[in-house]
Amino acid sequence: MGVVYKAVDKKLDRTVALKFLVAVGELENDAPIGFDPCQPITLHIAPEPMQRKARPREALDLPKIEAAMTRRLAIVALLAVGALQAQSDGARFFEEKVRPILVNNCQSCHNDEAQVSGLSLASRGGAMLGGNRGSAVIPGQADESLLVEAVRRAGALKMPPTGPLPAEDVESLVTWIRSGATWGESPGRKRATASHWSFQPVARPEPPVARNTRWARNPIDNFILRKLEEKGIGPSPEADRRTLIRRVSLDLIGLPPSPEEVQQFLEDDGPGAYGRLVDRLLKSKHYGERWGRHWLDVARYADSNGYSIDGERSIWRYRDWVINALNEEKPFDQFVIEQIAGDLLPNPTRDQLVATGFQRNTMINQEGGIDFEQYRVEAVVDRVSTTGVAFLGLTVGCARCHDHKFDPISQREFYQLFAFYNDVDEVGANTLDGEARDRMMDPLLEFGKPEEYARREALKHQIGLLEGELLEYRKSLEADWETRFATGGDTVEERVRGIFEIPRAKRSSVDRGTLDRFFRARDAGWKARQDGISALMEQLPKIESTMIMRDLPEPREAYIHAQGDFTRKGDPVSPGTLSVLPPLPENENPNRLDLARWLVSKDNPLTPRVTINRMWQRYFGLGLVETENDFGSQGTSPSHPKLLDWLASEFVARDWSLKAMHRLIVNSATYRQSSVVRSEAKKVDPSNRLLARQNRVRLEAEIIRDSALAVSGLLTPTVGGPSVFPPQPAGAGQFTQVDRQWKAAEGPDRYRRGLYTYFWRSAAHPGLALFDAPNAQSSTTRRNRSNTPLQALTLLNDEAQTESARALAEQVLAKDGSRDARIRFAYETSLARPPREDERERMSQYLARMTDEFETDREAVEALGVKSASSAAWTAASRVLINLDEFVTRQ
Amino acid sequence: MSLEKKLLQQATRRQLFEQCGIGVGKAALTSLFVGDQLFSTPKAEGSGFHHQPRAKNVIYLFMAGAPSQFELFERKPELQKLSGKELPPSMMEGKRFAFMESFAKNPPKLLGTRREFKQHGESGQWVSECLPNVAQVVDDLTFVRSVHTENFNHAPAKIMMNTGTPIFGRPSMGSWVSYGIGSESKELPGFVVLQSGPRGPRGGAMNWASGFLPTAHQGIPFQSGGAPILNMTSPAGFNSGRQSATIDAILDLNRMNLEKFGDPEIETRISAYEMAHRMQTSGPELIDFSTESKATLDMYGAKPGEKSFANNCLLARRLVERGVRFVQLYHSSWDHHGGPNENLDNNLDEVCLSADQPCAALIRDLKQRGLLDDTLVVWGGEFGRTPMGEQRDTLGRNHHIDAFTMWFAGGGTKPGQSIGETDDVGFSPVKDPIHVHDIQATILHLLGIDHTKLTFKFRGRDFRLTDVAGNVIQKLLV
Repeated sequence: MGVVYKAVDKKLDRTVALKFLVAVGELENDAPIGFDPCQPITLHIAPEPMQRKARPREALDLPKIEAAMTRRLAIVALLAVGALQAQSDGARFFEEKVRPILVNNCQSCHNDEAQVSGLSLASRGGAMLGGNRGSAVIPGQADESLLVEAVRRAGALKMPPTGPLPAEDVESLVTWIRSGATWGESPGRKRATASHWSFQPVARPEPPVARNTRWARNPIDNFILRKLEEKGIGPSPEADRRTLIRRVSLDLIGLPPSPEEVQQFLEDDGPGAYGRLVDRLLKSKHYGERWGRHWLDVARYADSNGYSIDGERSIWRYRDWVINALNEEKPFDQFVIEQIAGDLLPNPTRDQLVATGFQRNTMINQEGGIDFEQYRVEAVVDRVSTTGVAFLGLTVGCARCHDHKFDPISQREFYQLFAFYNDVDEVGANTLDGEARDRMMDPLLEFGKPEEYARREALKHQIGLLEGELLEYRKSLEADWETRFATGGDTVEERVRGIFEIPRAKRSSVDRGTLDRFFRARDAGWKARQDGISALMEQLPKIESTMIMRDLPEPREAYIHAQGDFTRKGDPVSPGTLSVLPPLPENENPNRLDLARWLVSKDNPLTPRVTINRMWQRYFGLGLVETENDFGSQGTSPSHPKLLDWLASEFVARDWSLKAMHRLIVNSATYRQSSVVRSEAKKVDPSNRLLARQNRVRLEAEIIRDSALAVSGLLTPTVGGPSVFPPQPAGAGQFTQVDRQWKAAEGPDRYRRGLYTYFWRSAAHPGLALFDAPNAQSSTTRRNRSNTPLQALTLLNDEAQTESARALAEQVLAKDGSRDARIRFAYETSLARPPREDERERMSQYLARMTDEFETDREAVEALGVKSASSAAWTAASRVLINLDEFVTRQ
Repeated sequence: MSLEKKLLQQATRRQLFEQCGIGVGKAALTSLFVGDQLFSTPKAEGSGFHHQPRAKNVIYLFMAGAPSQFELFERKPELQKLSGKELPPSMMEGKRFAFMESFAKNPPKLLGTRREFKQHGESGQWVSECLPNVAQVVDDLTFVRSVHTENFNHAPAKIMMNTGTPIFGRPSMGSWVSYGIGSESKELPGFVVLQSGPRGPRGGAMNWASGFLPTAHQGIPFQSGGAPILNMTSPAGFNSGRQSATIDAILDLNRMNLEKFGDPEIETRISAYEMAHRMQTSGPELIDFSTESKATLDMYGAKPGEKSFANNCLLARRLVERGVRFVQLYHSSWDHHGGPNENLDNNLDEVCLSADQPCAALIRDLKQRGLLDDTLVVWGGEFGRTPMGEQRDTLGRNHHIDAFTMWFAGGGTKPGQSIGETDDVGFSPVKDPIHVHDIQATILHLLGIDHTKLTFKFRGRDFRLTDVAGNVIQKLLV
């Protein structure tokens, strides 16, 4: 059975026979990459896999073919795996029965890194290659396979060392090997290699020439138009000016234009009116808020610690930093460097320290009884994953437990990146409960006044003295109580007596807590002293601060975590980057600053592509690469690869200027197209990937709120500052461990933009959570855009919406004029356009009905909080307007 | 209206059902959307039913804080005998516990329970004096005594139980179910969360989050008093007539825009408003217990308007009656370490008193209405408690992840039996160890879902509730 080929084993320098159990033709039909069956094959398999440090899977580049070596270290056969059906059954069996056995019993020692006895059971190649004792698995020959011999414990080798496997597991292994030892990887999925498109240097393609020479406004359009022409569809006409100004205002500053701004734009009939509009918007301080919020998604910004207690934290200065950095046109490379490693820059400014809050937006577990190291590790892992997603567009996080299945990222490389972020001086191993409580948020940058620091020092000194005194007092108390115990006592006293029997140094924090409570309940002197200390503690000034990065003087040990479990130490690692990308500059001890510079180095092909793709996604609803967080082999290919590269190269050439790229995109004819669906274009390109029109996209949670506040005139436009508490429905905060009291602000802070709303990770404001705002558990690079009845309920009935409707009604009523004139004003204010005739008529009819209703129901008018029936009717009409699909959509 | 538009509307109606997780018929399940129409549709590989479901709905009674199996269900005569003795150090080796510091300094001693156990029902199940009502329905329950999990801290363990991993941010079981098979209710969300007891669950919304699944599948917290859903009440001044007129105006104006733009999202929004309107009108009826007989109210111990586990159990029955797919009740707190307000004496009594009667009533009520066959009831915490005592102000028990007890009823489970056994002191399973992933696989299985096939591609990987593990507990099935 099968076909035999001649091949050369270079390491052993001998000719070997290769046997394919599947006919080559058959194999070729399934194989993603074919090979020429007529040619003898020279395989370079031996040199690498024979060595301990080798990674057998990389060494074997021919898919579906893996090396098998016998115990005598000679090649007997290369197996091609069976037909697809058999393979998928086998893969299923492997995943369900075999992989768990290997993972739970074998791979902690026999993985690619540890390779105890030279054996890795992390891949099929490794299992067949075997270790010092020879091949562990010979497909089809269970009884000959060392693995089976070991788990049957019949011979000298008995595995696993902890005790025999259950008989059914042994049976599963036997069955698996007999049926060909299929390793569970889905057919048709191949690993990306260094030749994958996104790892290639960014090219500088020439914009193509299109037949239609009048449409393009800048090179972007040439790329788009060329593809459309290839498909025989034309672009859409430019959107009308009202649509354009509302679109570009919402996109650039996240606020709809005022009627005056619309009027001004309509009246500007000079050339370049649109360009001037764009320039005005890019200068607005609200630009930093709009695009800052996009970045805060990526940064997983929140105002609380997450996990169980979800206590509050102070890191809003980081948010301010982001907003300011964008407004001040900080080049993107500098923007990245300061966030990743601002603290390591020479003589960092306070702003540069604040910037490092980026990687402190990780969650902190404050639950009792935890192992602090476990959650410190989780935070570091999150920093690595975020680095992968935010800059590289790679699912680096997949390599935490094992080598990446599809992309060239090894587990070792994951922990090399981990090592960059591992030295932050935060609560971790060996931290005690009490100390952790004080240091939970460290490192911090404080923003106190000199007198506040002085006062704190003085108070701390005093508290220290009192605590010393309390300690002395405890000694006398303990002596006292020991004599009292001689005469017996209640159960609590029993417990306390038990604690006294433990030497003081060995008492746990729980013991000490019990003692303290005991003394407090039964000794007035103790209580008085303790109360004195508490009173001083309360006087400690609350010095404002923000969370930042600061490294320990001595680095922590970094090592590979077997299976991603930090308690299972693998090889030590030092900081390093991904080998598939250009290397770090020569440096013996690279640190975070080197990582940051590497991320934005000229040679890194991913950061500019990923960044510009995400920008494109915000403007068209979808990136040129649809999987904006995965540029690896499992991601989608770019719809316009040349355009992507042109934009990326332009971005770097323009010194990483974000505003330059915004200007380029929003000035393109592509962006300025109408979003009306054209049936002939839809037939050719149903999902509009080729952009024969703009896309209509629902506004983000915050922007829906901002728009309602803006058109009603309620908006407080203050930029920056601590988070605020706008109204939220009663009961919204109670569904978490700690009932979040939410006292809605009165006054200007009630009407701040949505990005300033206080964000509890465990109980987010429903207006955010229901409209797809990210939950800030990990980096978000694209929000869902759902469309649900609960959103409708919120827009209809939420208190904030009613307030906006009332305020919009007041504005309308302040205008003199007929009902129709007022309808026109209300439309222009809320939607930046006058109503069409059918709309005017319907609205007029509704107003008439509501006016009648409210004129006969004074109570309802009062309940609505307005003075007259006409106010009430206009409030109702305004409510309709801010509920329209068009109002919550960027057209 | 042109034929093209009509087709468009039909298509978008289907999309709405999919997006809302509401009103999904089998036919609508073949493709689900991540977001609006722009996103390509990552196919839910094998969404919809994979086999004939045994259960239509789930009521999951999540006992937050982790109840002690030794005080409730696990009778261990040997543990009683050894009470006060130190646990053999070999059993502690390589184990990590919560509050390690206290265990490390004072070697933990085994703790026998002070509770009386008796056998109950024809099946002769052991239940302690703490749960006299549950004891009366044991013939309807299946106990699984050998459940084990991976994380010994409350929030991550809850997240593990709900999402299959202790990593925060993944979709919860209810979301997976809603995503996979939708819900039959046309007026209510497919996944509803209720809460009672002194505090909410640790981790809050992460326990019912939709993670990377479409937002429409997230669990929606209901309140048992007042309006059940946030923003269900019209603004003051808008009676139902005015609210209807207002929604009608919104619908009409949206339709006019649909004519102009042809964007199916507009049609989806129209349907969403129609459904929101129905929710508003059916909501008050949902929580109106006046239609319940006094006997029913008494059986649960429910008092209209009160925020209690009893009311929530009754509300849960009303929700599944109305087709809600997945109802999860959190009841706290079972975290009896021995500290203040967390002793194994009166504090345990209090929470048992609040939970026992409603649990039993729910089983009886579902049964007498013929709903138990279709409704899977799950009872359990995020982990169990140690056979060793934990010395705080009183003797309590620490978190234990190696073995604990859950029970199941209805929905195709085999009643009146026990699955799994632990060793003499209840430290580890010795027979039929059941991992959390097995529980999840089984719940999905009963709902007609193959847990290996319900996947969602995110960041280049096909994710599932049970990660890469999980086996259906065959012994649990009828």
